[in-house]
Formats: sequence, C-alpha cells, structure tokens
Amino acid sequence: MKILIVGAGKLGYKLAEEFSKTKNDITVVDIDTDALERISDHLDAMVVKANGMQVEAMRELNLKSYNMMVVVTGNDETNMIICSICKKLGCSHAIARVRNPEFARQQDFIKSTFGIDYIVNPELATAKQILKHLYSKNSFYYSDFAEGRIIMVDYPVSAIKGFAGKKLSELELGNRYGVLIAAVSRRGEIIIPNGETLLQPDDIIYVIGKRDSINKLAKEYSIIAPPTQIKKAIILGGSIIGFYLAQRLASQGVAVKIIEQDKNRCEYLSEHLENALIIHGDGTDPELLEDEDVVDADAFIGATGYDEENLLMSLMMKQLGVKKVIAKVSRSSYIQIIEKLGVDFALNPLDITASDIIRYIKGSSAVAVSMLLGGRAQITEAIADEKMPIVGKTLAELNLPKGIIIGAIVHNGNIIVPNGSSVIYPGDRFVTMCLSSDLEKHESILWKGKRGIFQ
Amino acid sequence: MNYGLVLNTLGKILMLEAAGMLFPLAVSAGYGQSDTTAFAISFSVTILCGYALFLIPSRITRVRIKEGLMIVSLSWLAVSVFGCLPLAISGSTETVIDAFFESVSGFTTTGATIFNQVENLPKGILLWRSFSHWIGGMGILVFTLAVLPALGVGSFQVFKAESPGPVADRIVPKLRNTAKILYFLYIGFTVVGIILLAAGGMPLFDSIIHTFGTVGTGGFSSKNASISTYGSSYIHIVISTLMLLCGINFSLYYGVYRGHWKDALKDEELRFYLGVVISAVFLIGVDTAINIYHNFTLAFRDALFQTSSIITTTGYVTADYEKWTTFSQGILFLLMFFGGCAGSTAGSVKVVRILLLVKMIKREFLHILHPRAVIPVRLNGKKVSEEILKGVASFIALYLVIFALATLVITLDGISLLGAASAVATTLGNVGTGFAEVGPGKSFSDFSTASKLLFSLLMLLGRLELYTMSVLFIPKFWKNDM
Repeated sequence: MKILIVGAGKLGYKLAEEFSKTKNDITVVDIDTDALERISDHLDAMVVKANGMQVEAMRELNLKSYNMMVVVTGNDETNMIICSICKKLGCSHAIARVRNPEFARQQDFIKSTFGIDYIVNPELATAKQILKHLYSKNSFYYSDFAEGRIIMVDYPVSAIKGFAGKKLSELELGNRYGVLIAAVSRRGEIIIPNGETLLQPDDIIYVIGKRDSINKLAKEYSIIAPPTQIKKAIILGGSIIGFYLAQRLASQGVAVKIIEQDKNRCEYLSEHLENALIIHGDGTDPELLEDEDVVDADAFIGATGYDEENLLMSLMMKQLGVKKVIAKVSRSSYIQIIEKLGVDFALNPLDITASDIIRYIKGSSAVAVSMLLGGRAQITEAIADEKMPIVGKTLAELNLPKGIIIGAIVHNGNIIVPNGSSVIYPGDRFVTMCLSSDLEKHESILWKGKRGIFQ
Repeated sequence: MNYGLVLNTLGKILMLEAAGMLFPLAVSAGYGQSDTTAFAISFSVTILCGYALFLIPSRITRVRIKEGLMIVSLSWLAVSVFGCLPLAISGSTETVIDAFFESVSGFTTTGATIFNQVENLPKGILLWRSFSHWIGGMGILVFTLAVLPALGVGSFQVFKAESPGPVADRIVPKLRNTAKILYFLYIGFTVVGIILLAAGGMPLFDSIIHTFGTVGTGGFSSKNASISTYGSSYIHIVISTLMLLCGINFSLYYGVYRGHWKDALKDEELRFYLGVVISAVFLIGVDTAINIYHNFTLAFRDALFQTSSIITTTGYVTADYEKWTTFSQGILFLLMFFGGCAGSTAGSVKVVRILLLVKMIKREFLHILHPRAVIPVRLNGKKVSEEILKGVASFIALYLVIFALATLVITLDGISLLGAASAVATTLGNVGTGFAEVGPGKSFSDFSTASKLLFSLLMLLGRLELYTMSVLFIPKFWKNDM
C-alpha cells in the first residue's frame, strides 16, 4: 500500500515508523529539512521537501498512485486545505488531524466540505482514554476488547504476591482463572512468554481474559482498587486535552479545576468552559497547590505540554495521597522507566492516534488496534472471515512465529482462552498480540488474499 | 558499537561473494584450466569464513551511523581480501600483495593492473577480475540490500555510506526496492552491452569481460592492448556510449522509465556532464586531428573514446595518448578529477561536486560586489543547503590533500613526478590508467610493496567517498566510550 504523510512532526514520524514496519511504501512531505532528514535516516521511507498546499508540488507526487494520505501538520486549517487540494488532484483517501475544540461540533461539515474521509483528533481520543481510566475499577492500565467483555490488564509482578520467581506453567492461570499472560515486559523489551518463562520481580505482565475472570484474579490477589467516586478533579495544564477533559468531567457533575500558566489561555478557557474553575498560576508552585487544596482531589491529571512536568507532578500527587493519578506523556523515550514509577497511567497521545489511524486503514474487519510500549507490540482485534489464512486451522497447525500470540477468541458469544487445539471460525472475533518485529508476518496471516487497500 | 551486527552482516556478504566465485569456477572447470582448484579452495574458504561469522549472534537492533560506516568499510576490505584468494592460490600473481592490489583494483572498479601480460591468464581468473568490477560498480552493499532481507532498521546508513555523490537518495520509498531497481537497470545495461559487442564480432567471452569492465566503469581487459585490439569503430563507439551512459545518475533512468524524460533532460548535473564531455572531445579532436592524426574521423573517434573512458573513470585505452600533444594530455589528466555523475558507477570527485564548487565560487565573486547579499546556491531550481555545500567543499579539499601527500610518498619510488601524480590520481579516482610510468599498456608491477599497499588504500578511499573509509583511522571511533 502506498501512503503519503504530510507533516513530519512527532505524529508524522510515529505514523511513518508504524507503517514502514509492514510492506507499505511511505512518502513523507514537509518543508522542514531537518525533520525530513531524521525520517530518511532512521526509517525506511522516502522524503520530499515541499509545501503541501502548493498545487504544483503535490501534482508532481502523482497523488493518484497513493492509496491513502494522512495530513498531520501542526495546524488544523492547513490540514483541511491540504486535504481539499489533494482530493481535487486525485487522491483517493484522505485522513486529517483536526483538534481544535471549536471545530469539534462541525466535524461532519468539515469532512464533506474539504473532502476529508476521516478526522483524527488525538487530544479528544486521549481525553476519552483518560476518562475511561478515571472511572475504571482497575488500578492498572487496561484495554478492552469485544465490546468490553475481554480485557487486558498490565500488572507489575511486584504487585502480585507469589508471582515473582515462578514459571508460568507453575501458576496455572489458564486452569484456575481462564486467563492468559499474553506478554511480559522486561527492561523495556516485550517478550511473548511460554510455560518455561520465569517471572522476575520487576517485570510487567499483560494478562488477557474475560472481564469477570480478570476481576476474580484481581480480587483473589487483592490487586483491585477500591471503587472510587470522583467528585473533584485537578487538571494541570489547560492544553487541548485539558479542555476536552474538563468539558466532559464538568458535564458529569465533577468539580474541575484547571491550573494554567498562560494568562491569555486562561481567559480563553474561562470563556469557553462554563462549569470549570480556571486558575492562573504555576502548577508546580507548592503554595498555589496548597491554596487550591490539591490534596483533597480524587483525581489528578497532568496534561501540560511538558512530559517531565506531567510525570513529576503526578508522582508528587500520588505521594500526597491523591487516589487516581494520570499523566500525559508524548515521548516514547521515557517508557522504560514510567512503568516502574508509581503513576497509575501514563497515556501517550501518539500511540493512541497511531492505533486509531491503523485501525481505520485496516477497514471494517479490524475492530481495534492498540499499541504497547510505544509501538514495540501491537494488539489487534479482528473479525474472522473465510479469506483469512488464519481461519479454519488449529493454532498448533498454524505454527505461528514466536512473536505472535492469539490472546482470546469469541466463538458464538463464548469467550475462549485459546490453546494449541483451538480453531478460529469465520465470524469469530479474536485478539492477537504481535511484536513489532513480526508485524509483517502478522499482516500476511491475517489479511493475505485481500484486494485493494490491504495490499 | 554492535560488533555482533557488523560481523554478522560481514558473514552474509562473504557468503554472497563465495556464491559469486561459482561463476569463474564453472567457467574454469568448463575450459579445463589450471585455476579450477584455486577457485574451489577459495570458494570453500570464503563460504566457511562467511558462515562462521554469520553464526555470531547479534542483537537485532537499529543500524546506527557507526555500525553503517563500519559495515561498509570492513565489507569492502574483507571482500577484497577474500577476492584475492583465487589470484594468490592459482599463482597468477607473484606475491599476495600483488593479488590484493589486483583484487582491490577490481572491486573498486579502478582497473589498474599488476599484470604485464593478461592474455596468459587462465579464463577463470580473467572472469573473476571482471566480475569484481561488475559487482563493485553498483556497490557490494547495494547488492546485499537487494538480495537479502533487510539488514535491520536503519539500513539507510549503510546505503548512504556506500552510494557515490554528496547526497544519497532513494528512488522509491522502500530501500530494498530502490536497490532492486538499481540492479535491474544495471543488469539491463549489461545484457544490452554483451549483445551489442557480440554482434560486433567480439567473441562471447571477451564481450562479457569488456561489458563488465564497461558498465562497472572498471577497465580490466582480457587483452594486453585493451580495446585497441579491436580495430572496429563499431566496438569503439558501443563501448564509448555504454561508458558514458553508466556515468549518468541511475535514478534519472528510472525517471525516464516513469515518463519524466523531460525532467531528466533538464537535470543540471547531466547537462554539465555532457557539456564537459562534448567540450573535451571537441578540443582533443581538433587538436589531435591537426597535429597528430591528420584525419578528423579517426581523431574524433579516439577523442570520444578516451574522453569517455577517463571521465567515467573506466580506464580503457584505444590510442596511445602519450603520443598526443601535451594540451590533449592535460585535458585527460584534468578529466581524471571529474568522474561521472553522482549515483552512477563512476568514481572520482563526481561532476555534481565540481558543479556546486563552480556555483560557490560564482557566489563568492558576487559577495565581493555585494557583501550583504543573501544568495542561495541552486541545483535544479532548488536551494542546496549550506551543510551540503560545506560537505562538498571539504570533500574536494580533502581529495586534493590526499592527492598531494600520496604523490609525494610515491615519488620515493624514484619515478617521474608526472608518473607519480597520475598514478595517485588514477587510483584515488578509480580510473586505472595514467601517464609516463603508468601510461597506456603499462602496469603497476614495478612499484614497491609499500606503494602497492598505499595504492590499494587510495582506491578504497576513492570508491567509498573518502570519509566512510577514513573513520577506520580515527582512533576515537574504535573506543567504546563514543
């Protein structure tokens, strides 16, 4: 598949990185030579220095030959115009990033006017994820599949008594609870385990299974969080994520405070958010925090533009006793240490958006795609059809490579934790976990034989 | 430094080289000649060493800049060392150093030889020498990228370190496909070349040898008198054209294939390259026609051949240009510093660098008149970044410094200054033929061992664009703390 990415910023880089892991031809367009050089040096992608709004330059690229273009420059309006221009020049499919909350209600209008096929809004998607975790019973990060009936939770081994130092076969999680350890993260690398894998105290395990089964496991090992009711929430940073979050929390009757440093931004926020209290000040100033009774809050969300500030302030709040603490972290560089910190969740808007776009590109049969550890592994939920090479054989016969594991199968409404003799039938939903090194293989066993967009 | 990765890749490349030895092995066995055992031994040794290196475990990680440079430099060194085995074992060369010189000269597509009598050599050896031109012309690592699954993320570092010219460019987004397209074009030229030469009455074996030498812009021949053995003007014209075509940036051919032939024709580097060739042919043609040949057709035929041969750094000879006027010889000597276009199989400085240098000099003149003017240097209408310009200037400076110092060292052998200078220019530029002691029909056999080693080094430096190879000599590069 040929994909054109306009905008070589953080998201553009991330997308090029994810797409180039499989058999896609990626071209990245930007006007910043340094950003392009970084991509050209590190990724298997071609770079073109051009302005996406310049008709002549875009015509030279022969847009008709691309299956898809993703426009992610830093500016919403630019993105819309580029899509509009490129659609007129023959581009078949356009995805654009539009994140300004003021445009959020007119999405459909924007789509039809500018010829955009799909709009991604990383900030809104991240805000939604944060909300999900604020209200969840799990005290650890999780993702859900099959309409919420299957979940996958990340547990630090140290949090579960008696797991460290054991082999997976000794734990017998499959027999006892009907759950599966789909992956182990060890020192920043993801391992797909087998029965012989020995758990180490600083590992993180990814446990997948039926929601009830996971809850049962969590209850027995008392790793479940006491149900929290969120009445007061503090948002550090009045960024777009903070805006969306405040808007939604406030509409559910939560008392929201946003602490923002920039005076003009405060004016803007107070004008547009009626039910939130906007405080102008430095969020790291202890006196301000004390004045605002931060410790009494039920939830704290670090959503400034600075990863470090979000992380450190979240850690501090956790120590002061705030129940739920979430940090927004855009860089994947810190991933290896974040898991070990006490922050409940660190959410990466880039991962969320990249997953969103990949899911959209895969089309209707991919229900969900999400990423682990900044893209080192990918979880895909898909609905099987008879054309998929994976269908109709036992898993043992499929002889999957080491980096791919089938985490769960939903057959006729029953959730199965698979073993070697399980078979995926057409119409089943299934969840796979795949290391980034095996993505190409993963692609071929899932989507091979499909025409058009999957090629 | 991820030595596992470097050695592992090296192993793969040696196994490919061993596979390449199968051709001369088959030919030699087919003709029943004396070098069959030498090839069998070389093949076994190379494949075993390659396999042993391949077994070294390596963490699969990104190829970083350091590893990229290391892989490229060591590969070229290793391929040359193992490539000299057939020559040394068969006893074709007197010493191992001679064999190494010949092997380096082959892979770097220089074409400088230590053999005074190539016609006595067995067929397998002749084919192997020319085959090394062919594979070295487009690049050992480019070949590896095309046939083997990706080296890992970041193979662009490797591609960059080997590809000729100031900026390395992909033709298509996937590097592997870029490498494949380059080799498809290259194989296309080779097949056409063999057919055209064979059609002109050259024996098939000689056609293959000379086509390899031509498209790789190498210069090894199977005849003592090089191309002048063949009197046919047809053969001279075919080889001249093929040399000139292989001195053009290969990505332009892909552009033509995609239907952008107008853009290709407007390419500034191509125009400059053709401009230089036409002026040189004209000047030499008129000069020699009046003073030497007294025959315009013949003069222009030889002028065209010699100009193409030198500017594309091939080094084939059809005329004893030492009998030409000093003016014509001077032009040829200068052409040694031009080389073909970036992204071609030719060596030396590369036309685009000269073109950019000319433009920079022009800009300096303008700056004297308008000290505060902001003047961009443009190539094909696009601004060339100051970083690239700096790179070009320092490349040319380093090239000349190496040329001057090496010439001085070579004069220790007691040869004429012209001989020493042209020998250095011809090896550093991967041309293969020079003046005086290394003039047409003469060999490098009389140089001292130390000089031969220096020449080998110069050839490798020249082929890998100076900087890639130089890193091996920077002590800091080897330290783990970098």
